[in-house]
Amino acid sequence: MLKNYFKIALAVLKRRKFFTFISLFGISFTLTVLMVLTAFIDKVGNSNYPDKKRDRSLYILNMEMTGSKNGAMTKGPHSFYFLDHYAKSLKTPEKVAISSMFDFSSAYVNNKKVPINLKFTNADYWEVLDYDFLEGKPFSKQQVDNAEKVAVISEDTKKAYFGDALSVVGKYIEADNIKYRVSGVVKNVPITQMMMYGDMYLPYTVSKNDYKKDQGFNGNFSGILLAKSANDLPKMQKEYTNMVSRIKIPDKEFDHLYSFADSYFTSLIRVILGDGPNSGVSKLVIGLSIFVFLFMLLPTINLVNINITRIMERSSEIGVRKAFGASSQTLVYQFIVENIILTLLGGIIGVVLSVIVMQIINNSGLIANLNLSLNYVVLFCSLLACLVFGLLSGVYPAWRMSRLNVVNALKAQ
Amino acid sequence: MIKHLFKLIWNKKKQNFLLITEIFVSFMVIFAVFTLVVNYYQNFKQPMGFEYDRVWVINYQSDVKIKDKDSLDIYYKTMLGNIKAMPPVQGVSFASSNVPFSTNTHMNNADYKKVHVNRVNYYTVGDTYNKVLGMKLTEGRWFGKQDDAATVKPTIINQSLRQQLFGSGKAIGEKIGGEGSKRSVIGVVQDVKAKGDYQEAGLAMYERIDTSSNDGRGRILVKINDKADAAFESRLYKLMASNSNNSGIEIEHLTDKRKTMNNTTLIPMMILLIVACFLIINVALGLFGVLWYNINKRKGEIGLRRAIGASGNSVSGQLVTESMILATLALIIGTFFAIQFPLLNVFGLAASVYLVAIALSVIFIYLLVLVCSLYPGKQAAAILPAVALHEE
Repeated sequence: MLKNYFKIALAVLKRRKFFTFISLFGISFTLTVLMVLTAFIDKVGNSNYPDKKRDRSLYILNMEMTGSKNGAMTKGPHSFYFLDHYAKSLKTPEKVAISSMFDFSSAYVNNKKVPINLKFTNADYWEVLDYDFLEGKPFSKQQVDNAEKVAVISEDTKKAYFGDALSVVGKYIEADNIKYRVSGVVKNVPITQMMMYGDMYLPYTVSKNDYKKDQGFNGNFSGILLAKSANDLPKMQKEYTNMVSRIKIPDKEFDHLYSFADSYFTSLIRVILGDGPNSGVSKLVIGLSIFVFLFMLLPTINLVNINITRIMERSSEIGVRKAFGASSQTLVYQFIVENIILTLLGGIIGVVLSVIVMQIINNSGLIANLNLSLNYVVLFCSLLACLVFGLLSGVYPAWRMSRLNVVNALKAQ
Repeated sequence: MIKHLFKLIWNKKKQNFLLITEIFVSFMVIFAVFTLVVNYYQNFKQPMGFEYDRVWVINYQSDVKIKDKDSLDIYYKTMLGNIKAMPPVQGVSFASSNVPFSTNTHMNNADYKKVHVNRVNYYTVGDTYNKVLGMKLTEGRWFGKQDDAATVKPTIINQSLRQQLFGSGKAIGEKIGGEGSKRSVIGVVQDVKAKGDYQEAGLAMYERIDTSSNDGRGRILVKINDKADAAFESRLYKLMASNSNNSGIEIEHLTDKRKTMNNTTLIPMMILLIVACFLIINVALGLFGVLWYNINKRKGEIGLRRAIGASGNSVSGQLVTESMILATLALIIGTFFAIQFPLLNVFGLAASVYLVAIALSVIFIYLLVLVCSLYPGKQAAAILPAVALHEE
């Protein structure tokens, strides 16, 4: 039966080429936009370089302190002291990575400026995260403790600073008028990985700011807690929350401290939409759903309109089938299947288009080191979108069709 | 005639209902796009209010441990003096991190008598800030040595804030701010579009850097002449880096920062426009298809009209008018919703932006429907009564 429907659907598509073109154009374009959007969200939220152990990590990005009496509020990353003193005191985490958010700096090579984003880290950072080392190795705990002037640089920095040199480990790179010995070169990280992005990674001890002495809570650092196994995550999260609730705020202006250890995606959303104890995930879901709904509304109505027009054209066929005893259900079923075949065709074109669009975005260099790509998650989402789209635009016309009066339908011819 | 057309539309209300919905939704999309475009355009027309050519920004972090107030003042004066002594430098000033075209924003409130104003940009600046950026004073004076001994802290506000606080009244010498933080207005400057060409200037107040404090010195603005080149930039960098308190030094050019800032407005705008453009093409094709099909189905009716003497033009005129009435119905509903935006003042945009956007979207939708119905109408005019009636 399905095979028959398939044949009919194809025959109908071939009959009115203009309408087919309009339908396919609308469907494929809508799906392209949705797919690129999904790929982008997927890239930001699901990328597995360099944090390959994401399933057993919790991320501490921003904190918020509020004073209920005077309405004071401060929001931002933590201080090194806070993470070193409090987060490291927890028992569940195996390791705690602490790193500064990237800071802009620059180096000058032959009077040409090389922009460099500096990032200060502790030694555990390199064990919690799995950077791909093209050469050399990360700096060790010993080197951090001794405040040795060593640096791990990114592939881009190597190219910009050293040109086409084969191996640069052991060579010196100069930033802020200080020479650092290159200890390793890592694969580039896209800037969408805000917490891990950087061009030059230095031991936090070589920073000119004295992180150990400053005991304020606000600073420029974020932390990653690594548990022994994924099962320990809830326990670790609870331990962190308990620990935070016991902290006394040194600043008298504030009486509430919000700091959370979240999964990667939640922590990112908390930075953008978080508000006190709310993580903002629900806000994001609602916002995105409204956008997708509004965006799909127009093409759907358009498709419904065209579909109705097309059914009316086939009223004689429907009349004959009904006269020979086909039930309304069968007809509705047939029409929806036909419509889904149409949307799937549009979906295939959409996949091709979105691959092209993603290539254009990747090559345009709008976002540093961004590499959008299709993967199973994106494909699955788009397949789902296809089906929803097909159902949405097929149900109403099919219902209208099934209610056609046999006599009228046959007379129309 | 029109009454008759309404009857024709009412007879096919089910199908027309969908068409009206489609036109209505398209109107709302177009309205949103036009609102953005009109808003950006109106901001774009405003003057920049300052000169960004040949101005560089030095970003740096410093960890100065000098406790004595006078020594601290001397320390920073020497730092500026060393930069000023370099030949291509024409002017130099400290500034807080929210320099023009930066993504940093500092906000504050301002009070005057019973007027309370929120979201005022708050800049901490040096005594030569206005000269480096070529800002224009419209009233009063800029900060200077005479403010060292001032008992009430001096402040300078921009034209927009002046308008909101004082209207057309006197501004110079008035006290603004809350209890314990009174400021005396000593000058008014032209609005500065600090967030790029397409963003509004907003309200702003400028405070003088406290000479005995480290605050408000996160950036150094340097005005240079046209002899400055990359070699000079690298020398300037070396000079900054040779101070052992400084780290994380970066030199940016305001012209580049302006481009980046404008891009953050323009690129999402471009993406939105491209998406909207495709949506409209989609809708246009759909409308065209449906109208075309409808006319094909009404061959009998059209043939009959032609047979009893209607001219080709009047037939196509009828079909086009029918579509225009459909569009009008949709636009009435659409305008009803769109007019709520200025009435409820949803996003804090000026009412004129919404009204212009509504007018433009109405014209756009009419044009779209007209273009989509012209060809089917023309085809209907070409129907020969003999052929059409023969089919029946």
